[in-house]
Amino acid sequence: MAKKILVVDDDPVVVRYVVQVLEDSGYETCSASDGVAAYEVLEKEKPDLISLDLEMPEEWGTRFYRRFSKDPNFKDTPVIVLSGLASRHLSIKKAVAFLSKPFDPEKLVAEVKKAIGEP
Amino acid sequence: MTEKILLIDDEPGIRKVLSISLADSGYEVITAESGEEGLELFRENRPIIVLTDIKMPGMDGIELLQQIKREDPETEVIMITGHGDMDLAVKSLKLEATDFITKPISDEAIEVALKRARDRIETREKLRAYTENLEDMARQHSRRYQQLFHEAPCYITVQDQNLQLLEVNRRFNAHFGGKRGDYCYEVYKHRKTPCPECPVIRTFEDGKPHSTEMVVTTREGEQRHVLIRTAPIADGGGRVAQVMEMSTDITEIRQLQDHLASLGMLIGSISHGIKGMLTGLDGGMYLLDSGFQKENEEQIKEGWEVVKLVGNRIRNMVLNILYYAKERDLQWERVDVRSFAEELARIIAPKAGAHDIRFTSDIDESADAFEVDPGVLRSALLNILENALDACIEDKGKTDHQIGFHVRQTEEGVIFEIEDNGLGMDRETREKIFTLFFSSKGGRGTGLGLFISDKIIRQHNGAITVESSRGKGSRFQVKMPVKKPENGIPEKSGSTEASGEKKQKSRLDFMAGQITIPEDFDRMGSDE
Repeated sequence: MAKKILVVDDDPVVVRYVVQVLEDSGYETCSASDGVAAYEVLEKEKPDLISLDLEMPEEWGTRFYRRFSKDPNFKDTPVIVLSGLASRHLSIKKAVAFLSKPFDPEKLVAEVKKAIGEP
Repeated sequence: MTEKILLIDDEPGIRKVLSISLADSGYEVITAESGEEGLELFRENRPIIVLTDIKMPGMDGIELLQQIKREDPETEVIMITGHGDMDLAVKSLKLEATDFITKPISDEAIEVALKRARDRIETREKLRAYTENLEDMARQHSRRYQQLFHEAPCYITVQDQNLQLLEVNRRFNAHFGGKRGDYCYEVYKHRKTPCPECPVIRTFEDGKPHSTEMVVTTREGEQRHVLIRTAPIADGGGRVAQVMEMSTDITEIRQLQDHLASLGMLIGSISHGIKGMLTGLDGGMYLLDSGFQKENEEQIKEGWEVVKLVGNRIRNMVLNILYYAKERDLQWERVDVRSFAEELARIIAPKAGAHDIRFTSDIDESADAFEVDPGVLRSALLNILENALDACIEDKGKTDHQIGFHVRQTEEGVIFEIEDNGLGMDRETREKIFTLFFSSKGGRGTGLGLFISDKIIRQHNGAITVESSRGKGSRFQVKMPVKKPENGIPEKSGSTEASGEKKQKSRLDFMAGQITIPEDFDRMGSDE
């Protein structure tokens, strides 16, 4: 079974974009556009990696991350942060890569492969 | 022209001999046999040199000398004396005679005396020319400095201890009025007492230059920012008797600085939004590209829709930035309400249709005309309409979406209502929507749109109100007066009065006066 990636971004256009990039590389995807929905999908789908937008409204991104990082069920699940900010979020310890928007899709796929291997 | 020489002697022999000798030397000789006749001929001929015997019956040489010197002090008078007249000769020299020659007269002696007279004339001429030249130079320099003082590209005043104006340059006078004796603070600041931190007072105190920045008021009542510098002017004893004050108008620099600061803040604040939109555009292009590679028509279509959607967002954002970044006065026009509203509906209807959103417009048949700047008001209302579209497109909670656009004319003015059943807003969001750089759209908004809409509507003396509830939708109401306001627009912030809450003030209130519109705003929109 192909490896699965959860894509979290409040912008449906970006979700659609990231999903297509990952699926074109052979990964399975699931997605959510706010923190609450993201957690439900996370628990249901148990993805191998999360692509997370940090600058969602109402701090969905950081709230989601805080809850997720304490959850023992997902202690080995890596995160790739997609951010519009230039600076790195040092508090995101589980992040294996920071990509700033607009990002290079090939770079995203390369980072995913580095983190969880081929699909 | 030969020079005239007047020769006076009562002895005809001497007159004759000397006449010949003087004529040989190149003079035109006039002769007289008495002091009286000599004086008469002197007045008639104005010779430059007079040769006179001292001892003569009637008016003697001394008396004639005195009279001539009184009438023309520059005449050279050479005295002719006999033996033993040394006292008279000395006296004549004291009375400014040029020289004296003793009888019997030798050619050599007369030549020496004449040369002396000519030298004195020449020296005097040179001195006169030199003095005239000096005076001329002094006049020119003084004129030049006056000109520099008056034409200097700054305001210059010279003040005394009481801060009374002693001198002002023309530029100062033209812009601030003020004459000798007026008080600096009255003319410059319309104050009754000296300004605190007056640099002129400080220069009087310590004799050193000082500088400061002030806002002063011109005679037309216009506020100008000036940079003021002072310099002491010392009297002969080194005491500071006067102070010169020079001010440069830096109003435009200050405005530019404020503008640049707010532009810098603008760029910083919206860069996140811009990056989000560029990512969206990349997404659309990626979907298109990947769709073409796989010959997946469905995905190509989807990609194209994304490109159009994001393209439109970027377009609106760029127009809003341009609008924000450039100042323009409102261009008032009398506009037909119905055709204005119908045009808005025509722009929005197809966009709604593309996303399966039902768009209904109902425009009051009896609506007449109102006075607005149609270009900018259209943008203000389009911002709200496009927000309604976004709220519906992004609302996944419902499947059936609609936007209503109602326009009617009442006694209160022309009322535009924009209603949608999209996402809706919670109270916090609703209170902040008119705040500069606040966006509820995450990476897809810049926080400019509604701030600008609110500003435009207030500039027209209109009002914008909003009701909204999360999950249900929003209703914006814009009330526009029918007539252009008579005097200026009150600079008050917009309100959410329909929901009974006071609108939060903009975080960057200082920018509120700077809403700006590109001159070719409309054209830019239609060029695409």
